[in-house]
Amino acid sequence: MAKILIIDDDPDIVESMRVVLESNGYSVSSASCGEEGLKLTRKEEPNLVILDVMLPNGMDGFEVARRIKGDSRTNKTPILMLTAIKEKTGLDFRNEMGDGGRIPADDYCAKPLDHEALLRKIKKFVGPA
Amino acid sequence: MTTFFKNTRPKDHLLGRICWLIRLRWLAIVGVFSVTYLLSNVFHGRLSLDFAALYGIAGILLFYNAGLYFTLSTLRKKKFSIPIPWVNRLANIQISLDLTCLAFLIHFSGGIENPFIFYFIFHMIIASILLSRRAAFSQATYTVVLFFTLVLLEYFGILHHYCLKAFFSFDLNGSHFYMAGKSFVFVSTLYITVYLATSISAQLRAREQSLEEANSLLREKDHIKSEYVLRVTHDIRQDLAAIQSCIEPVTLGITGPLSSPQHDLLRRAIERSKQLIVYVDALLDMTTLKLTQSLKMELFSFTELIREITSQISELARSKNLTFEVRAEASSLMVRGVKVYLEEALVNLLKNSVKYTLPGGKVSLGVNALADRVSIRIDDTGIGIPEDDLPHIFEEFYRAGNAKGLERKGTGLGLSIAKQIVEMHQGKIEVISVLGKGTTFYLELPLAAPPLAS
Repeated sequence: MAKILIIDDDPDIVESMRVVLESNGYSVSSASCGEEGLKLTRKEEPNLVILDVMLPNGMDGFEVARRIKGDSRTNKTPILMLTAIKEKTGLDFRNEMGDGGRIPADDYCAKPLDHEALLRKIKKFVGPA
Repeated sequence: MTTFFKNTRPKDHLLGRICWLIRLRWLAIVGVFSVTYLLSNVFHGRLSLDFAALYGIAGILLFYNAGLYFTLSTLRKKKFSIPIPWVNRLANIQISLDLTCLAFLIHFSGGIENPFIFYFIFHMIIASILLSRRAAFSQATYTVVLFFTLVLLEYFGILHHYCLKAFFSFDLNGSHFYMAGKSFVFVSTLYITVYLATSISAQLRAREQSLEEANSLLREKDHIKSEYVLRVTHDIRQDLAAIQSCIEPVTLGITGPLSSPQHDLLRRAIERSKQLIVYVDALLDMTTLKLTQSLKMELFSFTELIREITSQISELARSKNLTFEVRAEASSLMVRGVKVYLEEALVNLLKNSVKYTLPGGKVSLGVNALADRVSIRIDDTGIGIPEDDLPHIFEEFYRAGNAKGLERKGTGLGLSIAKQIVEMHQGKIEVISVLGKGTTFYLELPLAAPPLAS
C-alpha cells in the first residue's frame, strides 16, 4: 500500500485529505510542523510527501523541501507542495517546479484543494493505491 | 537654512526659488534700462549723471543673469543635481551681487539723494524668503556697510557725488541733519523688513513642516491599516480553504451516497465559499501591492506570457461562446518585471472583457512592439461603460451601474489592481468605451531590450 505523509499544520485540511486518500486506498500519516515532518520522512519512508508552504515554528515548506531533497536518505521521495497561490512569494509556481526551477518540489496543488485534481497528481507519482 | 528644506523635495523647492530670482532679475534689468533711458533723454541736460556707467551696470546684470539662466537650464536638461549647500551658496552669492550692483547704480545716480535707495528693501524681502534668518540679517548688514561706505566716500569727496540738482535743491555737505535722519530711517527699515519678512516665512515654514508631519503620520496609519487588512484576509482565506476542503469530499460521495437535496445544498455552500475566496484573494492582492515598496524585477519573455494568457482566456471565451482573437507581434519581446503580477493585470482585464461581453460577441488582444515599449490593446464588443462611471472604474471597489446589473458577482477590485501593477512597472493604462458598443483598454509597458526579430 502506498504511504503518503502530509505535512500541514491545519488539522481540518489534513483530516479532509486523510478521508479522501484513505478512501482511495492510500495509507496516510501526518505531521504538523517541519521538524516532525522531516523526522517522519526519514522514519516512515513515504512514497510521497504532501507539503504545505506555510508552516509554523520558523521552518517553512520550502526549507523542509530543501532538506528532504538534500538528504541522501530521502532525496528520492517526490514532494507535492500545497500553496495558496496568493501567498505572493514572487515565484511562478507553474514554471519553477522540478529540475532547474527554484522550488525544490516536484509539483504543486493550489489551496483551496480540488481533491480530484489532487488525486490525479498523487497517481502520477505513486500510481493507484 | 537646513531646517526649512527638510521636506521631501528640498532641492526642487530651492532651485525653483532661484529660478524665480532669475525671472525677477530680468524685470529689474528691464526697469534699469528703461529708467536710465528715460532720464537720459527726457531730462537731458538737466541731469549730469554718468549714464554710460548706469548702462554698463545694467549690461553687467544682463550678462550675469543670462549666464546663470543658461547654466541652470543646461544642468536641468542634463538632469544634473546641484548639492543643497551649493544651491544655498548660489542664492547667497546672487543676493550679495545684486546688492553690490544696486549700490553702484545708486552711486552713479545721486547716492543718498536718490529715492531709489529704498529699493534695497526688495532685496531684503527676497533674502528673507530665500535664505535663513541669519543669512538674511547678514545681507542686511552688508547693505548697511555698502550704504555707509558709499555715503562717507561721497561725503569726503573720495568718490564723486552726482547731484540731482534738477529735482531737489540739495547740498550734501550742508544737510547733516537730513543725512543722519535718512540714514537712520534707511537702516532701521532694512532691519525691520528682514525681521518681519523672516518671521512670516518662518511661520510658513513651520506650517509646511507640520503639514508634512501630519501627512507622514497619515501614511503610517494607512500602512498599519493595510497590514491589518492583510492579516485578517489571510486568516479568513485559510478558514475558507479549510471549510471548502472539508465539504468537497462529502459532495464527491467519498463519505457515502448523498440524497439529491443534500448534494444540492452542499454544492451551494461550496459555490458561495468559492465566491468569497475570489473576493478575499482580490483584497489580499490589493493590500499586498499597497504594502510593496519595490518589486523584485526579473527579465522574462513577454511573448511567452502572452501565449500562456491566450490559452487561459481562449478556454474561458469558448465556454461563454465568444470569439477570442489574438494579434501578437511576431518578434520576441523581453520585459523586466514580475511575471505573475503582469499576468494577473492582463488576465484581470481580459476576464473583465469576457465577463461583460454577451455570448456571440468578440474579445481581442493586440500586442505591438514600439521602439522601447510594448503596447497592448484589449477590445471587446461588450456592454460598455457609462460615461459617468468611466472616470471611476480604476478606483477600488467601484463597479459601473450596468456591470452590477449584468453580473451580481464582482469585487470591484480587478481593474484597480491591474492599474496598480501596470504603474508599478512604469507603464500606463487607459480606457475608452462606448455604452452598448464595447470597451477598449490600452496599456503600455517599457521593454527591457529592443524587440528581436524572430
